[in-house]
Amino acid sequence: MSSSAIPYSTIRMEGASVAEFSWDIRSPLDRALVAGPYGAQGKAGVSLTEIHNFDLAQVMARRGKAGEMIAAAKARFSAAAPETPRAVSAADATLIWSGPDQFLVLSKGGKHSIEALAAGFAGSASLSDQSHARALISVSGDKARAMLAKLSSIDLHPSVFAVGAAAATSMDHTSVTLWRGKDRDGQAVFNLLVFATFAESLWHTILDSAAEYGVTIGHSDELA
Amino acid sequence: MRITCPFCGERELGEFTYLGDAKPQRPAADAGEDAVYDYVYLRDNIAGVMSEHWYHGGGCRAWLKVTRNTLTHEISAVEAAAGAGAAKVGA
Repeated sequence: MSSSAIPYSTIRMEGASVAEFSWDIRSPLDRALVAGPYGAQGKAGVSLTEIHNFDLAQVMARRGKAGEMIAAAKARFSAAAPETPRAVSAADATLIWSGPDQFLVLSKGGKHSIEALAAGFAGSASLSDQSHARALISVSGDKARAMLAKLSSIDLHPSVFAVGAAAATSMDHTSVTLWRGKDRDGQAVFNLLVFATFAESLWHTILDSAAEYGVTIGHSDELA
Repeated sequence: MRITCPFCGERELGEFTYLGDAKPQRPAADAGEDAVYDYVYLRDNIAGVMSEHWYHGGGCRAWLKVTRNTLTHEISAVEAAAGAGAAKVGA
């Protein structure tokens, strides 16, 4: 990491040099992501958008409490939480299956932050804040599926992986949560949640895979 | 080789980690040293159908019990290991 990446001042403490860090909230893709075109020129076949500033909570049922957790989710979101690999769109949150008797709550603006969820799931589930532990990348475009096929062994054909399908899987040896969001401009949108510390590595792999199709890269604060 | 995870469906081997024989059961506290030694260290080298623990760490992070033929890699059964999830197994 370059010395300018994290602003710090050096103070003297008993003869030792101690770095005093300032903890700015930054995206794990802050250094790697360069907005604009990448790879082959012409019409971009792949669109990559990093989504910023989301709330993400892991909800895991306590032993014997899966039914109560589902009921609590229903009361909170007026939607049935996923019990199989699916992503469920509620009014202001997406509930994404992440394993047996557990799911992720993805939302914006603090309405379903871990603090907001705590009371409703007290006694039925354990919550873990993942808001700053993952990067969220949205992949779309004519060649999105062709590009992802190089990285994933999941069949993403629309006949198998329809809107709302989800998978806990690996890409390039990296665990990811993958789901298909609502189509945009008639095209499939694939969303990827990746652990923050692996995000840059996977990002480079994605760029390598997408380069031949031409890529357009950007940020967004809107959930896909 | 592919393993059909009961939660995720068919997945490539790379998503899984092998633990080993699923048969050994922890002996009772008063079973004696030989029984504990056997449980901790001694394993059969089975040529044929074997019950094994596998971990789906590259996917749903559930432990699985897989029945596999070590000669042919044919998998005849996959089920969630006790403790996978919160309620369906071992609750």
